Amino acid sequence: MTSEQQPQTTIAREQVFRVRGLTKVYGMGTAEVRALDGVDLDLFAGELAVLLGPSGSGKTTLLNQIGGLDVPTDGELWYRDMELTHADEAELTQYRRDSVGFVFQFYNLIPSLTARENVALITEIAQDPMSAEEALDMVNLSGRLDHFPAQLSGGEQQRVAIARAIAKRPAVLLCDEPTGALDIKTGIVVLEALQRVNEDLGTLTVVITHNAAMADMADRVIRFADGRVQSIRANTTKVLASSLNW
Amino acid sequence: MAALEFGVWNFLGFWVLGFGVCILISHLDRKLWRDLNRMKGQAIAVALVMACGLAMLTMSRSLIQSLESTRAEYYEANRFADVFAHLKRAPNSIADRVAQIPGVAGVQAGLAVSVTLDIPGLDEPASGQVRSLPDRGEPDLNRLYLRAGSWLAPGSRGEVLVGEAFAKANRLKPGDHIAMLLNGRRQDFRIVGIVLSPEFIFESRPGAALPDNRTYGIFWMPYEEVAKAFDLYGAFNYLALRLAPSSGSGAAVPAATRPLAVPAGGAAGETPARQVAARRAAPLHTSERAVIAEVDRLLATYGGRGAYGRSDHPSHIRVSDEIRVLTTLSIGFPVVFLSVAAFMVNAVLSRLLNLQREQIAILKAFGFANRDIVLHYLKFAFVIVAVGLVIGALGGLLLGTRLVKMYEMWFRFPELHFQFARSALVAASFVGVLAAFVGVFNAVRRAAKLPPAEAMRPEPPANYRPSLVERTGIAKFLSHTFRIAMRNIERRPMQALFTVAGLALATGILIVPNTFRDSVKHILGFQWDVLEREDLSVGLIEPTSAKVTHLFEQLPGVVAAEPFRVTPVRLRFGHRTRQLAIRGMTAQGIQTRIIDKSMREIPLPVNGVVVSAKLAEVLDARVGDLLTVETLEGKHIVRSVPLVGLADDLAGITAYMERFALNRFLEEGDVVTGANLTVDTARRAEFLRELKGIPRVSWVAIKESLRENFRKTTGASINLIQMIYLTFATVVAFGVVYNNARISLAERARELATLRVIGFSQREVGGVLVTELVILALVAVPFGLLLGTGFATGIISMVNTETVRLPLVLTAHNYAFATLVVAVASTLSAILVLRNLKQLDLVSALKAPE
Repeated sequence: MTSEQQPQTTIAREQVFRVRGLTKVYGMGTAEVRALDGVDLDLFAGELAVLLGPSGSGKTTLLNQIGGLDVPTDGELWYRDMELTHADEAELTQYRRDSVGFVFQFYNLIPSLTARENVALITEIAQDPMSAEEALDMVNLSGRLDHFPAQLSGGEQQRVAIARAIAKRPAVLLCDEPTGALDIKTGIVVLEALQRVNEDLGTLTVVITHNAAMADMADRVIRFADGRVQSIRANTTKVLASSLNW
Repeated sequence: MAALEFGVWNFLGFWVLGFGVCILISHLDRKLWRDLNRMKGQAIAVALVMACGLAMLTMSRSLIQSLESTRAEYYEANRFADVFAHLKRAPNSIADRVAQIPGVAGVQAGLAVSVTLDIPGLDEPASGQVRSLPDRGEPDLNRLYLRAGSWLAPGSRGEVLVGEAFAKANRLKPGDHIAMLLNGRRQDFRIVGIVLSPEFIFESRPGAALPDNRTYGIFWMPYEEVAKAFDLYGAFNYLALRLAPSSGSGAAVPAATRPLAVPAGGAAGETPARQVAARRAAPLHTSERAVIAEVDRLLATYGGRGAYGRSDHPSHIRVSDEIRVLTTLSIGFPVVFLSVAAFMVNAVLSRLLNLQREQIAILKAFGFANRDIVLHYLKFAFVIVAVGLVIGALGGLLLGTRLVKMYEMWFRFPELHFQFARSALVAASFVGVLAAFVGVFNAVRRAAKLPPAEAMRPEPPANYRPSLVERTGIAKFLSHTFRIAMRNIERRPMQALFTVAGLALATGILIVPNTFRDSVKHILGFQWDVLEREDLSVGLIEPTSAKVTHLFEQLPGVVAAEPFRVTPVRLRFGHRTRQLAIRGMTAQGIQTRIIDKSMREIPLPVNGVVVSAKLAEVLDARVGDLLTVETLEGKHIVRSVPLVGLADDLAGITAYMERFALNRFLEEGDVVTGANLTVDTARRAEFLRELKGIPRVSWVAIKESLRENFRKTTGASINLIQMIYLTFATVVAFGVVYNNARISLAERARELATLRVIGFSQREVGGVLVTELVILALVAVPFGLLLGTGFATGIISMVNTETVRLPLVLTAHNYAFATLVVAVASTLSAILVLRNLKQLDLVSALKAPE
């Protein structure tokens, strides 16, 4: 399946990212590594896209570029009408602050802040945030508001991380191996939370994983290999995260 | 089958691992260099702090060693005497009898007379002391060192040798001429040589707290010429003795000498036993005591003024006091600095190594023993320590060489050799290495205790809880940044404590140098504006009727004249004695005042003596005690006088009496030996010209030139030392703050990067880091100021000699300065560290911790 075979349903949607010929090269000369080698990709509002691929295929590098954490070597990268390729440090910070929510494999919570405070930290700097309680409620953590990360399980910590990411009502939610450090049961609880957020808030959600089982919950599955998009597959029917198994 | 496979893999794994270990061992040192290169900022900061402590230690120890050995060599080479005595006059045959005293190895008798000088181009009268040299051959003791020109030609007339300090101050060279009033007769002399004497390493007018080399000098002439000018031919009035080297202990003193300790003058009311006991404080050799007693007995009938040993010799005391002050500083300062350095090396290494937790686990997984790992990190620490030691040793060498030059300004040695104190280097190296070892050992032990697999996993989130401040109920008013900072501090109280301690120490050591400066400033003001308010003092050749005051009053420009009487005495209480001058002053004097500890003026009573508080301490006497005063000039009188007050003076030790009371005590009429004068500034030149013409005037001390002189010498040198110490303290302050911020950054790189990723700006993330530092600094600075006050009090109180006492002066300016330096150092460090925030790898925050 190729990109031309995208289902009609997505064409009408608002385009959030437009990626053309995106290239990222690390090192020089013989030590040169082409982490991204001319990626073309469009991502749309409200969709849940799963990026699948083996280690070193370039999926995290792509996430870093679209998340404004890194600048590409070549190519075009548009977020709506903002060209991220030419954005400066301050513009990238503002972009991350207003538009992007991150969820990391190791949660990256601030250990000295409670669940509520970890989320509130974002609501302090965001434009139109929801309350920390509301965000934590969306991930079913209303009962653990005042617990510190050390007092939470891995799955709970990851759900706090999701709440932190969505509290600012971002246009994009970028998740890098969100279940990578979790067992199946806990992983599914986390994916449920992601799915709910995606559906309730209509946030473009990009999930990086090497777990093929997660492909079934996506609107589209983008396969990566050798720094390129290998294939894009649109799921006609999405399954609920709760029914996933691996 | 599966078991077999497992075995094969294990076997293969073993070899692969073993091979890897072999390669790694050789690569481990490469890792060391790369780690060092990566952390060069911190490594340099630690090395510099170490270097400061070491430089200070080696500098001061080297100076002490240089002064001590140079003095010892000089004394030995130029045969510096052991016992000295001044007297009115005695026939030369008495010197032979002195030579017969058991324990005496050599005697040099000669003349020492006061002269008035006329120096071309010098407005005020100058005076000096002329010493006689044997007409033929070198003196047996106190030999001179010829700096320039030539010796006196045998049988010469009209030639003189001049002491270097005076010659330099007045730019005199061999071949120049100088006019002297010898016994009232003006004579012209040709300077043939510039010399140094072991007796005048410190050239100063007797009794003067500060030298004025322009107006006071030492001269040497042939015996015959001096003796004839003063009608002393065939006699001597000054004696120097050398003791036999073997008579160092009491046992060596022949029994026959002991009864000689009874004073021949017949001290009324004193038992012989008490006389002997009272002679000197404990450290003197019994033989020296016995010799002094015998010399006193022999010279009593010839107007002997009391023999004394080296420990009472003015020049010797000055050098010894300087060495004592240096010794104090060489212990006090460097101990503080080295402790800060050691503390920092320890804390920094242990925190740096905590950051290498995973790497240590990997090394362990590869099969390195804990011992290998400790050794590896010890190398890392020792490189830092070694750099510190090299810089410190070089710094100490450089500063020491420079400061030795400063001592050449005060002390006249043929050559002041700089000697590097290797023992100090060894001691400091030991402290540095020990600190490094403890720091490394603790950190590696902590890391090595964990099983490798566990250590390689990211640390689980640390346990936190709301901070104390929040629990007071003000939580809702606190920002998240503040909460993060407070909770971090509370979670690791020891680390916070170490940081606070480091910062407090850095603040504390900034207080000390400025206390020195303020203290000297206080002396300058207190001594010359509060205690001595006259413009100048004039001394007479010999006690003269008080009527001479009228003569002074009639000199041009004189506004007020207050006469004084000064006489040398031996003061005794219990078994302790001191030789010094009693100053007889005007009872309600407006010019020279005596002030007690609480700055109240002490009125001089009709009967009784007031002494320097330091003298009372030396004598172990209290107000109300009866001191025994023994005159050393004129009639020999020994009588008890009540101690009525303690003067809080800062230089020298002095006893004060009311002038009439002193004269009554001396059984003399109303005589004076000089006067303090207030002179109209506009007419000073005229006044000095007239004064030059009065033959009885022996010396004049102009307050402003003394003060200026002090500023140029002592003041300048203290400023130099203060600058050095201040620079060191600043480096330490900066090092402590910078390292703290850098390590905090490294320890929290992941947390801070996460904040950046989720949309915090650099400034906001910097705020998280800086808030914690600011909180710690705010706690540390007051402690530091308190600590600094303690350091300053301790060190200043150790500079408490009979020559000079430094008052403890702590000014708001000093505290403000220390705070400012720490604030500036903190700000600069923060800026440097925040710049590093830019290079924070945001991408790495998304990955698993390495």
